[in-house]
Amino acid sequence: MTTAQSAWLGIRLSGDYFISTFIFGVMFGITASAVGLQQWQALLMSLTSFTASGQFAALEFWQAPIPYATIALSVFLVSTRNLLLGMAMTHHFDGHSLRRRIAWLFLLNDPGVVTSFRVDDEVDRLGYVTGYGVSMMVSWLTSTLIGLNAAHLFANFDLGQVSFAGPLVLATMMMLFFKNTKTPPLPWLVSGAAALLLFELGAPDYLILLLSVGAGVVIAIYQERRRG
Amino acid sequence: MVDQQSALLAIFMMAAIVYLTRLTGYFIGLQLRHIQGIKPVLEALPGCAFMAILAPAVRQGSPGEIAAMACVVLIMWRSNNVVVATGTGLAVLLFGGPWLDSVIA
Repeated sequence: MTTAQSAWLGIRLSGDYFISTFIFGVMFGITASAVGLQQWQALLMSLTSFTASGQFAALEFWQAPIPYATIALSVFLVSTRNLLLGMAMTHHFDGHSLRRRIAWLFLLNDPGVVTSFRVDDEVDRLGYVTGYGVSMMVSWLTSTLIGLNAAHLFANFDLGQVSFAGPLVLATMMMLFFKNTKTPPLPWLVSGAAALLLFELGAPDYLILLLSVGAGVVIAIYQERRRG
Repeated sequence: MVDQQSALLAIFMMAAIVYLTRLTGYFIGLQLRHIQGIKPVLEALPGCAFMAILAPAVRQGSPGEIAAMACVVLIMWRSNNVVVATGTGLAVLLFGGPWLDSVIA
């Protein structure tokens, strides 16, 4: 399958997460308006960062004077999973020039990576993930714009409950992993158990992420050694 | 009110950080790819990260949030339908959440 066909497949299969992303985008637009971002600033942020969790994290600290270091650290911490998504794609973006890979990695996105493991081997993964990303970007920008313009309707509405929507969307992706894995999902379960333990011990968020992923990696290596 | 120059600087700083995390992971992976048997280990990473984020979120969730999560997991398990699962989860959060929280609290 050519890169263009694979990109089109990514766009076609992105319908489910297009809608989920749309809901998030509307919420982002409403919140951005509430904290005082101008329309063009919110849209520029959505266009250049293209990360729901990172953008929401930044809005928590959006005030004059801007605390750059705090925003940088929080955006980095919630984006650390991108490191892992990128690493997971290492073997799947071959056959393209380095320049293209560098440029198209801009559109790397969680659901695109997760669902790419379910498509046939003949699909070009870089094209697929990029097509998926284009669709997510369209959804994200359109919904941000709608949220910005609808913000006045929600001025007296408590959106606090919806902040848990992020973990809900992550759970849908996790379930796709669980249902399509060909190997025992032990690394993920160990990561979850380790995260719980570290949380109970009062570890900071970055340490929870680092150590629990590390625990999962150790199990994955052990599994691979036993299989090999 | 944040002035325009500061806002622009913050926006482009955020974009650079996010893009660099996307690039860096991929290039670290390229350095590791020659190691035999590394592919399944790398592919396990996103799931590990999701679980590391999800487990504490559920642990500190309110009854309404836990109920919403249970609905999402159940619907995904039965149907694999992301839209129905997310929609139901959000509906439980918005409409059932406050009620559940008040009953169980």
